[in-house]
Amino acid sequence: MDLTYSPEDLEFRERTRRWFQANTPRQELKSLEERRSWHRTLYEAGYVGMGWPREYGGRDATPMQQAIVADEMARVSAPPTINGLGIGIVGPTIIVHGTEAQKRRYLRKILSAEELWCQLYSEPNAGSDLASLRTRAEDKGDHFEVTGQKIWTSGGLVADWGLLLARTDPRVPKHKGISCFLISTRQPGVEVRPLRQITGGAEFAEVFMTQARVEKSDLIGRLGQGWEIAQTTLSYERGGNSLARVTRYAMAFRQLVEEARVLRRSGRPLLEEPVVRDRLGRMYAELEVQRYAALRVLSALEQGGSPGPASSLTKLSYSEFEKRFYETALEILGPYGQATAGLPASLTFPVVGSSGHGDTWAYAFLWSRAGTIYSGSSEIQKNVIGERVLGLPKEPRADRVKA
Amino acid sequence: MDFTFNADQQLLRDSARAFLDAHCGSALVRALWDDPRGESEAMWKDMAQLGWLGLSLPDTVGGSALGLVETAIVLEELGRAAYPGPYFPTVLAATALNEAGSPAQKHRWLGAIATGGARGTIAFLDTDCSWDPGAVATRATPAARGWTLSGTKRFVPWAHVADVLLVPAQSPDGLSLYLIEPSAPGLGLGALQGMDLGTRWMTLTLDDVPVGDDAIVGARGQGGPLLEKLLRRGAVGAAAEMLGAARRCLDMSVAYAKVREQFGQPIGAFQAIRHKCADMLVEVENAHAATYYAAWAIDAGAPDAMTAASVAKAYVGDAARQVCGEAIQVHGGIGFTWEYDLHLYVKRAKALETMYGDAGYHREMIVRHVTS
Repeated sequence: MDLTYSPEDLEFRERTRRWFQANTPRQELKSLEERRSWHRTLYEAGYVGMGWPREYGGRDATPMQQAIVADEMARVSAPPTINGLGIGIVGPTIIVHGTEAQKRRYLRKILSAEELWCQLYSEPNAGSDLASLRTRAEDKGDHFEVTGQKIWTSGGLVADWGLLLARTDPRVPKHKGISCFLISTRQPGVEVRPLRQITGGAEFAEVFMTQARVEKSDLIGRLGQGWEIAQTTLSYERGGNSLARVTRYAMAFRQLVEEARVLRRSGRPLLEEPVVRDRLGRMYAELEVQRYAALRVLSALEQGGSPGPASSLTKLSYSEFEKRFYETALEILGPYGQATAGLPASLTFPVVGSSGHGDTWAYAFLWSRAGTIYSGSSEIQKNVIGERVLGLPKEPRADRVKA
Repeated sequence: MDFTFNADQQLLRDSARAFLDAHCGSALVRALWDDPRGESEAMWKDMAQLGWLGLSLPDTVGGSALGLVETAIVLEELGRAAYPGPYFPTVLAATALNEAGSPAQKHRWLGAIATGGARGTIAFLDTDCSWDPGAVATRATPAARGWTLSGTKRFVPWAHVADVLLVPAQSPDGLSLYLIEPSAPGLGLGALQGMDLGTRWMTLTLDDVPVGDDAIVGARGQGGPLLEKLLRRGAVGAAAEMLGAARRCLDMSVAYAKVREQFGQPIGAFQAIRHKCADMLVEVENAHAATYYAAWAIDAGAPDAMTAASVAKAYVGDAARQVCGEAIQVHGGIGFTWEYDLHLYVKRAKALETMYGDAGYHREMIVRHVTS
């Protein structure tokens, strides 16, 4: 056991910190063009697609280096890259499963954010049971024709392209009849509508496809290989956000402590109330444990291991923790925790939520509800842990009986 | 960044587990539960042979000069076996003497402890059971030749087998740790039985117990920082032992859920059980990270070592309580019987939850550190 950072990592962090101190925009980026321009600055500095192989424009960066960059960005609340799904999921999928022509056509423009991407997976009736998706892609000879509805499409409103899962063969068992495509969302057969969340914002969209066109050359892998490809896509999480996430919790915690010094109840600061102190102590202990667990994941990646199904443990643990964290913050703050506007400046604190941008406690609390639902709900993670980590027997499943 | 055990640490863990599986099975644990002394002399000698008693002591006294990480590895395995005996109190007392003892004290005790010839313990608690060194109520009064100690110490682990007792007491100069031998006049011992019969607590009554100046461990009146240091190490050691007990409870639950059938299938196939087991695993893995991070931080002198020790004790205490409790639930009726072994591990974790500062104490310590 040696939980110190290597001299190379420390040097890399120092260099990264200096760069972000010098280059992070001082003002909030409002327009798409401003965000795209920031993305290009990051790209030119080598901070985009770091984990990609060099031959495709990446840096072959280690998981630790990727984690450090994300962490340094979190520290200064730097705006994120604009093409997160393109870089984190679509690009790697094309690199692993795509043809040479697909790689040449798409990869460079993903990195540069010239083309923005979304992921067209979830459907109104295919959430946790993604493989039951119904969107159809029919072979029309020289192209595929796609009809169906997608939901929870992150970045759908600005995307130019989507990584699509659609059913190409309804006669075979459900996991085997799905194929993976690249589809332009800028065409008449595709309609994108914002989906307003409980936060009030609309970071997601609903996507309606009616006889939309997909070129033959935009099939990824083989027909019927879509489920397999989606599974490998889901395991591309390489610990890149592990440190940044904890840094954001720690920043939020410090804000909470400051607020507890200022707010008073029964004639004394909240921070002096034993009940509040106990809750704060629990929050801090839990967030530190998240940090240790992140270091453990990075250590495993450094030793060349792949977290595999154990990544379900990490996801389950941090997403459930995050809900408790913001719930507790709101309990401590009382109605002040729910106020979103109208308080004097001395009582208005910018809060860092898990979505990465500064906002209110109310927003951060509401946003924290997403984590245990997206990317495999907590219940799905527990099934994976039970079956694949602990080796417990599979549950009988109605949809597997005939398969 | 390496969060894994190195080859030597791996070997230590494997050999500890193999030894305890062979020599500290539940039959022996149960026999010792019924034994008035409560520990096995043969096992003590074996532990000395294996080098466990001198693990963190210098090689000049026959130790291995290793760190708290290695001690935690052994303690985790001891917790996993619900080992009954004075291992950890002895190790902690030896740490105190090694850190702060006079040459004469070290000469008298460290070699003897490392070779299995002596046992020790520390009497942290007075009757109010506060872990704050400032709350020590036992008094040291200056006497013609040294001091006399008076007071009552409670929940002193394994004091009835100890050859050397470290007793914190308030003197006009401040808090000091006094070294007392069991033969001292005015010293009384009474058994305090808890629910874990593998943990033996004693009440120590001190009625004008005479001690010399040479009985003080460390600088006179400066016992507070030493006691805090020992408390932190105690907290991490207890976390390691609770981690071992909790992992044992998880392992037993998973094994049972695979073979116990109801409604025509193993209960582990039901999400109600499977999801409990997944939650338990999350807690156990987080407890592992918390325990070994803290042990490493103390060994490495990391700036956050103090907080990390409190985080470990607070987090692992809560985690062990949840995991052990759910283990009983997963087992159902059999988990509620005396005959089934589960309660040996459940009770070990339970006893340690309260020792070296409970979760509430350590959460307060955390808040003090991070808001000061």
